[in-house]
Amino acid sequence: MSNAQLFYVINLLIYAGVDIIACLGLSQQFGVAGVTNFGFIIFQAAGAYTAAILSLPSQSANGGFQSYIGGWNLPFPVPWIGAMIVGGLVAPPFTFLVGRRLRGDFAAVGLLITAVMANLLVTNYRPLLNGSAGLSLVPAPLQGKYNPQSQGYQWLYAALTLVLAAAVFLLVQRVTESPYGRSLRAMRDNDLVADSLGKNLLSLRAAMLVLGGMLAALSGAILVGFINLWAPSAWGYAETIVLFAAVIIGGAGSHRGAVLGAILVPVGFEEATRYIPQFGPPGLVQDLQWVAIGLLIVVFLWFRPQGVLPERRRRVGVGGPQVKPVEMPNEDVVTLAGSPWTPVPADAPSHDGVVVSGAGRPISRSARSAASPDASPVLRTVGVTRDFGGVHAVAGVSIEVRRGTLTGLIGPNGAGKSTLLAMLAGTIAVTSGQVIYQGADVTGVPAYRRARLGLVRTFQLASEFKRLTVMENLLSAVPANRGDTLAGALRGRRYWRRDEEAAIARARELLDRFGLSGYADTYAGDLSGGQRRLTEIMRALMAEPSLLLLDEPMAGVHPRLARQIGTQLLGLCAEGMTILMVEHELAIMDEFCDPVIVMAEGTVLATGTMAALRARTEVVEAYLVG
Amino acid sequence: MSLFLASLGFGLVTAAVLAIAAVGFTMQFAVTDVLNLAYGAVMIASAFVAYSLNQAGVNVWIGMLAAAAAGAAGSVLLNQGIYTPFQRRGSAPVTMVIVSLGMTLIIEFGLQAIVGGTSVSYTMSQGPTVKAGGLVLTTVQLVIIGLSVVVMAGVHGLLRYSKLGKAMRATAANRSLARNCGIRTDRVVTLTWALTGALCGVAGTVFAINNGSFGATSADLFLVVILAAVFLGGPGQAYGAMAGALIIGLATEISAAYINPSYKDVVAFLALLITMAVRPGGVLGATA
Repeated sequence: MSNAQLFYVINLLIYAGVDIIACLGLSQQFGVAGVTNFGFIIFQAAGAYTAAILSLPSQSANGGFQSYIGGWNLPFPVPWIGAMIVGGLVAPPFTFLVGRRLRGDFAAVGLLITAVMANLLVTNYRPLLNGSAGLSLVPAPLQGKYNPQSQGYQWLYAALTLVLAAAVFLLVQRVTESPYGRSLRAMRDNDLVADSLGKNLLSLRAAMLVLGGMLAALSGAILVGFINLWAPSAWGYAETIVLFAAVIIGGAGSHRGAVLGAILVPVGFEEATRYIPQFGPPGLVQDLQWVAIGLLIVVFLWFRPQGVLPERRRRVGVGGPQVKPVEMPNEDVVTLAGSPWTPVPADAPSHDGVVVSGAGRPISRSARSAASPDASPVLRTVGVTRDFGGVHAVAGVSIEVRRGTLTGLIGPNGAGKSTLLAMLAGTIAVTSGQVIYQGADVTGVPAYRRARLGLVRTFQLASEFKRLTVMENLLSAVPANRGDTLAGALRGRRYWRRDEEAAIARARELLDRFGLSGYADTYAGDLSGGQRRLTEIMRALMAEPSLLLLDEPMAGVHPRLARQIGTQLLGLCAEGMTILMVEHELAIMDEFCDPVIVMAEGTVLATGTMAALRARTEVVEAYLVG
Repeated sequence: MSLFLASLGFGLVTAAVLAIAAVGFTMQFAVTDVLNLAYGAVMIASAFVAYSLNQAGVNVWIGMLAAAAAGAAGSVLLNQGIYTPFQRRGSAPVTMVIVSLGMTLIIEFGLQAIVGGTSVSYTMSQGPTVKAGGLVLTTVQLVIIGLSVVVMAGVHGLLRYSKLGKAMRATAANRSLARNCGIRTDRVVTLTWALTGALCGVAGTVFAINNGSFGATSADLFLVVILAAVFLGGPGQAYGAMAGALIIGLATEISAAYINPSYKDVVAFLALLITMAVRPGGVLGATA
């Protein structure tokens, strides 16, 4: 090969490495965590500029033809490290956009526009980063010691880039395949439900912005060290779309796909057009290239939304390393022999909502005597009200749910049952009134923290995490897994394996008990309606609730199965759990629920046993008839 | 003071252009729940339709009607051919935004491939300058303001008094409920996209007139301003978008008189981000 050809190959390798790192960062944010960061290019630009101004000499020492801040002339690898730090620091201001409140598409548009504006500002304000002309003559790493033009140097640069790309791949893979990664994917599939299971959406998304931002910045630093210049035209908002195209085409959620996408789209595409003879007026080929990127996105989203290398299914495997379940001490519970689930004692010592337990997390705590049904209320509301634009969906409801009961909540459509349940769980805020859980006022406590306190809900509409297997759905709810933090995930499998195995054992027993063992490795999105409801109940149980709020758990379930669920629930109550259940099927109420609360038009009409309620005319008129 | 008045005049013209564009955008969002980011690209494509007629010697105001027709046809095609099929499949709103970005690239750069990368201008007279109460405006600018007022009045009449307007509002509020009440929502949606597409075409032409010169990618930044007006008024709220357009139009132009004009869109951007952070449902339009 001639020198020119060799240079071309080196060039290609470095660009590939840079694009792979960037695509992996975006894959982690968008593919795994569902954070649609349309401002991704800002982070790459931040890294490139930081590396540039850290390695450049001061502007007067550099001929004075460009103006920029910094110019510290720092030796390699300080500029790259600095770039990653700045890339991470750019992220926090964006978290308000991706926080809990804003719709995903609104947040995405906000980020896109931020990218447009950041570019506009840097272009127009010259003193900061030399405006539209950009920075040039950026020193290559170690250029004082070695000759950056030499082939040896360039080969080393390419090798370093690819080693870093490989390291980044291992890093994101480690994060994604951990319990923490599972929480991220759960959030991606349904953030509201993840929230109700104790996932702190804001912190998860902020962490992803920081991690992805650091990777983007690293890619920028590597690039600027090689091409030695960086200008606003290099990071137009549309460059982000190219990276999105790469991740979508490669396979969102699959890091191997991101690598493939990086090679196919930003590298392959740019290179392919080099070999097309230029035709038409100047700029035409480039225009058509953009059209093709747009077409690729739309066509792939339509014909193959999972990408070329789809996210692979995580199988726990039936024949895998079977974990021996810990002995169940509460075999004596008649209704549910061998129950794997034992409620968290209501008075368990807890810190910041996380139930404290020993290392290795015992699957089951020692059996406790079932609480007597007339014990103190687990949950109490005082005049809870919710208005929706002038409509009182719930108007001044005060109820008590006593420990160890399976309390029913019935009422005609629009009575405010689901709204009440959502307010109890913190999914929606109260307009006025108080929610008191285990003696503490939790009215202002966000949903994820209530879940960690043991106040767990299910949803009226199917709310499974579709692209997680049934087993993963169950595991996603396990509180306080050591691998369910970014730090824990980074420490690797060895650190969290025991927690995971214990959780898997617990999940297996629940699956056995609900008769879904054969579906452990099935995507929850592929289940039947009834199976989804079961999955949801099991998942809620995995969250170790002390008070379980069920919103029509038997809707769409075969009557015989519904009765089995009812029996299971009664058994759980006998073990000390408390359940508040919305249900339309009166036969279920008759058989399992005591007491039953009747709501109509946003208020509580009556409370008592079904037999007593059937005797009251106003209740019968409001609900039981018609 | 004269600086303020001059910028106030510019602000009114910008607000007039913005109002036409923002009302169209927000009504598309109202009935289909899609943030159609390709809106700016359709605007400019329509403006080029008017340009090609204008080049052939047709008056630009007549060209504007052709632009309206082109915008309507293009928007209906975009919704029927791309967005609706994706939505029928149950695509998430975020996916729809990605699709709309893809369509933006296709339309914008497809257009640029045809018309080239250089900026063009309509051949037209600006008319005599008119002075009124300290404001100095050209006849064309006055016509744009008048046109905008007429369009707003028309939208108001449509939404308040016509059967179609009521059906639109019902569809926006709850599409499946509207369908169950006997409203042919598919037709309402198509008509809405035709109508808003026409607004988009008109907006593109008056934007191009007001800008003086324009190219295929000229609307990129203007889309930011449209989004700011739409979000300030509450996405999906037609009256909110009108009020938002007035505020953003005046704010950007008046600030341009006192700070570097290159940064005038930053004012819109900051308004947008603050709205998103504080009240994602919009600051102005609580009623609809």
